[in-house]
Amino acid sequence: MNTSCTECGASLAVPNDAIVGELVSCKDCSTEYEVAEISNGNVLLKPSEQVGEDWGE
Amino acid sequence: MRVSITFDRLRWEEKALSGAAEAAGLEASLVDSKGLIFEIPKKRPDLGEVVLQRCISHYRSSTLTLMLEGTGTRVINTYAVAETCSNKLATSIALAKAKVPTPRTFLALTSEAAEEAAEKLGYPLVMKPFTGSWGRMVTVVRDRGTLQSLIEYKEELANPQEQHMFYLQEYVRRPPRDIRAIVAGESIIACVYRIAPPGEWRTNVARGAVSKAFKPDSDLKELILKAAEAVGGGILGVDAMEPESGYMVHEVNNTVEFRGAQSAVETDIPAQLIRYVAQVARK
Repeated sequence: MNTSCTECGASLAVPNDAIVGELVSCKDCSTEYEVAEISNGNVLLKPSEQVGEDWGE
Repeated sequence: MRVSITFDRLRWEEKALSGAAEAAGLEASLVDSKGLIFEIPKKRPDLGEVVLQRCISHYRSSTLTLMLEGTGTRVINTYAVAETCSNKLATSIALAKAKVPTPRTFLALTSEAAEEAAEKLGYPLVMKPFTGSWGRMVTVVRDRGTLQSLIEYKEELANPQEQHMFYLQEYVRRPPRDIRAIVAGESIIACVYRIAPPGEWRTNVARGAVSKAFKPDSDLKELILKAAEAVGGGILGVDAMEPESGYMVHEVNNTVEFRGAQSAVETDIPAQLIRYVAQVARK
């Protein structure tokens, strides 16, 4: 599944077995996205959350 | 039997757990916690008999666990365990109460008191945030001047607990590695050394540490299980050190990451963790 990076415009390939919630990064600018929706082979991305002070194990 | 694996950041671990649950014949759903809403006091039966809590944000994780437990859903780990493990002070208290050897630790409630506590502890010492992970902001403080500078920096933080209160711990002389044990209930699923990368004293995998499998001796096994029990049990990552004086436990993790450990051991960690989840669900 292909889409494009909203940050730099590069083509962004999302693996066909990706699931909602999965993270993908733009190979050109490293912006990270989260898969928001998959329908009929189309993928919708949203910006992923930024690392928080309370993140961890 | 239905199980939900709640997450807010879908990592390798959550996908592996989901796959293991499916392989074990459980009806498992990966549930993005960011989209959940609750109306008090209604239960969410769609989430199944047991929820395996895997949120990476501590506050989201504990808040969701509180809500789930409050509406009658069992959660691994429980809210009480999450709260004990996510606050280093609470962990230290639980370990000390259970007589688990742990580094000497001081709490100070003001900057002035922190300097006094540091004199009692002696330099070098380790300053840690109360809440946090991956070795973030864990600092070796080698002298009083450095402590004073760090206090000034901390006073600029937005979090009032981190701003004005101080968790100070003895600097334990140990090999450049620590021990990570993954525990589920009363079983040690995997045990690895985490070897710090060159130029780094912290042994967090997130900081580039490499995992190496080893077989724990009986003393270490006993200590690991005692530490897990001390914080309330469940699926946990127990971190231990091996100074010359004998093993000591310095941390117990509530949402254990195991990708690093899995790269070093043959045991199928997610399969073993799911086995424990199924056992809890059947009770």
